[in-house]
Amino acid sequence: MFSQRELERYKRQMMLFGEEGQERLKKAHIFITGAGGLGSPVSIYLAVAGIGTITIIDMDVVDQTNLNRQILHYDRDIGRKKTASAEEKLQELNPDIIINAIDVKIDESNAINLIGNADGIVDAMDNYPTRYLLNDVAIAKKIPLFHGGIRGFYGQATTIIPGTTPCLKCIFPKAPPKEVFPVVGVTPGIIGTIQANEVIKYLTDSGELLLGRLFIWDGLQSHGEEICVERNPACKACGGMTTKKTIPGKKK
Amino acid sequence: MTVKIRFFARFRELLGTDIVTDVAPGTMFTSLITSVAKKTPEGYAAIFDETGAFHEFVILMRNGKRIDIADADKTVIADGDEIAVFPPVAGG
Repeated sequence: MFSQRELERYKRQMMLFGEEGQERLKKAHIFITGAGGLGSPVSIYLAVAGIGTITIIDMDVVDQTNLNRQILHYDRDIGRKKTASAEEKLQELNPDIIINAIDVKIDESNAINLIGNADGIVDAMDNYPTRYLLNDVAIAKKIPLFHGGIRGFYGQATTIIPGTTPCLKCIFPKAPPKEVFPVVGVTPGIIGTIQANEVIKYLTDSGELLLGRLFIWDGLQSHGEEICVERNPACKACGGMTTKKTIPGKKK
Repeated sequence: MTVKIRFFARFRELLGTDIVTDVAPGTMFTSLITSVAKKTPEGYAAIFDETGAFHEFVILMRNGKRIDIADADKTVIADGDEIAVFPPVAGG
């Protein structure tokens, strides 16, 4: 049941997916890994859309060099834990949802427990080793993984349903080298917004998800395109896995 | 015969994209990409290591189907192939 305030707040989007769709958002728990460039737009849009429970994790402190892109954090937050800053902003944006902001480094020892029974994992990380860990947990628990990555003016996104679509290792078997990557804030803005859009579509069973499709954004050309990606039968992470779970948004 | 090579992300910055080129029948993937990448030293270094092998993270696709980089030196190009070459982007 929604309060009068919630009914007003979500009025314009319930024109799209009804009170039933809004109820699904409210019941959902989404796990966002990172409160940085991607995590900022993802968490802001999921908070204002009314995702009932958002867990957002990060281990860093806000630094001046973050502020060109990490729009959850303001100049006054420099030196503060990103989780404290994120919790404050998200709760102010929407007081009717639950925000769990956890100051932690996700690793093999805690990933399964941290993710718990979340309905979806949003990849807002900045490195492949952690992404592969999220991929493993998504596969083990059959939780969808909403992938995004950015560099400079370029970005990529795809939605992974373990056992059905290619997993992250099928698409990117080897990690690129670590680097201090160049980036302008609009790039994670664009890709993070696509990830949040995928989460909302998945939960409300709307439209067509980026399943088996890698969306690639070229901000210099203002050109987006997609590449079809396939499961690798010999994939070390998901090879041999099948699922009969029906996929929301998949019409075929 | 003619093929099209599409570079993405950083590879595109260094080498351009939608490169349409003539190739001799029997040309292998690795030799074609090598010759195109040699257009700039930075572009070549972004895709290949100092031994001339693909960096292990490079993704190669032909007409939407993945080609394992380990097989690229024994995979023959066909007329009209559209080849995509891209790196995973890692930032967040």
